[in-house]
Amino acid sequence: MISRRNFLRTASAAALVGSAAYPLAAWAPDDSSLVIPGKEGLIVRSYRFLDLETPVEYFNTWLTPSGHFFVRNHMHEPSTLDPAEWKLSISGEVDKPYTLTLAELSRVEKHSVVNTLECAGNGRAYHSPKVPGIQWRKGAVGTARFSGPRLRALLERAAVKPTGKHVMFRGLDEVPGKVPPFIRSIPIEKATDADTLVATHMNSAALPQHHGFPARALVPGWIGAASCKWLTEIKVLEREFEGNFMSPGYRMPNQPLQPGDAVKPEDTHPVTVLNVKSLICSPSDGANLKSRILDIQGVAWAGESDIIRVEVSADGGASWQTARLAGDHARYAWRIWNFKWKAPSSGDFVIAARATDSQGHTQPFAPVWNPSGYLNNAIDQVRVHVQA
Amino acid sequence: MSKHKYLTILPVAILIVSCVWAQSARAPELPAGPMQAKATTACAECHEPRIILQQRLGKAAWTREVDKMVKWGAVVAPQDREALIDYFSTNFGVDQKDYVPDRSVSAGGKKATK
Repeated sequence: MISRRNFLRTASAAALVGSAAYPLAAWAPDDSSLVIPGKEGLIVRSYRFLDLETPVEYFNTWLTPSGHFFVRNHMHEPSTLDPAEWKLSISGEVDKPYTLTLAELSRVEKHSVVNTLECAGNGRAYHSPKVPGIQWRKGAVGTARFSGPRLRALLERAAVKPTGKHVMFRGLDEVPGKVPPFIRSIPIEKATDADTLVATHMNSAALPQHHGFPARALVPGWIGAASCKWLTEIKVLEREFEGNFMSPGYRMPNQPLQPGDAVKPEDTHPVTVLNVKSLICSPSDGANLKSRILDIQGVAWAGESDIIRVEVSADGGASWQTARLAGDHARYAWRIWNFKWKAPSSGDFVIAARATDSQGHTQPFAPVWNPSGYLNNAIDQVRVHVQA
Repeated sequence: MSKHKYLTILPVAILIVSCVWAQSARAPELPAGPMQAKATTACAECHEPRIILQQRLGKAAWTREVDKMVKWGAVVAPQDREALIDYFSTNFGVDQKDYVPDRSVSAGGKKATK
């Protein structure tokens, strides 16, 4: 007799694999329009390949709806993807390499993690001097509940050898020209963490195409690039993967640089964990306010650490007042915060917010400049005009 | 025509007009100049112009970008390299005003907005 649990697993697998709603010929961009099914009102940083930023005013819920979730692609999405044919291989420094179909993957016990996913380049546009790359401002970030098998469960079945030190992910991204493939790796310690997933679901639904259907890595608390999409290969390596998107890509200088300075590759280290950061989501920058009493609202996150405090200043940082941390709380997820502010007079004000994490790190006033514009966690500011 | 018929036809007309509007939102083009056509050809196989339009870089940075893209498959004749770098540096230099991006629409019924 089939148990309720097994029934649910079987039903879930069938739904994922046999999803009639999922077209075998996936969405392909048409340069003559801005239509992106399921993605309304997002800032189009690039249409082909697709890079979409979420306007900060959308961040008014703990979980970001998938339709409002930012999209970061390094190259083109798979143009065709047949769930019935899709396979995930686990190989490399293992004793028992194997391959899973989507139906088989769907029967592995699932775990859920609410994670704030942020592109390492979020805030790149605010670096001075400017650096090349997608000019993200504030919204290459979002929080969702990701669900799927633990990566370590899949690795345990493969019996990782003692020589296995890194775990490499390869997706089905379609590589244009001679662009190096988007392949990255993470250390075995993070790969075998109980919260690192091969996610098949996002906000309780099958992963949308733009977010890596049918499966993606989910490396909580780390930069978004660690969580490779359209996953098809997991390979255990003896050392960090050597490829463009591990080096020179996604590296930070070992020592502070002066803005504009270059850095040698040997003087860099990989970007991994997200740093402490907060955003002011309301009021919007440039708002014209009719009342002196204002509800300021935002979000704050800190990678693998906890947010312990968010403070607000309306006097250029001379004084700070503590905001209220509200709503839900999960290890890798942002906190919503709010603060009721009374303007001392009418006029123009700059409102700033800064967060502090459980490691004692507080946001800096200015971005820490680096040649690729990564991990900009400078204090967020909005200008407002108070009429009353 | 009765008021009832207007109420029936009007939403359909709005839908048709707005669909056409959305579908005609053209991808932006690289700016006019002697290298416009060659730049478009060299870059468009892999990505559309927005990725270029949003950059604000000095000549040294543009030189690195062009050389990287050639290594990654952009077809640029050696004699065009310098002119292409100048074209990007002039049109997307550090002193140019910010690029204003478009917003996405989830279906064909709404106008793309800046």
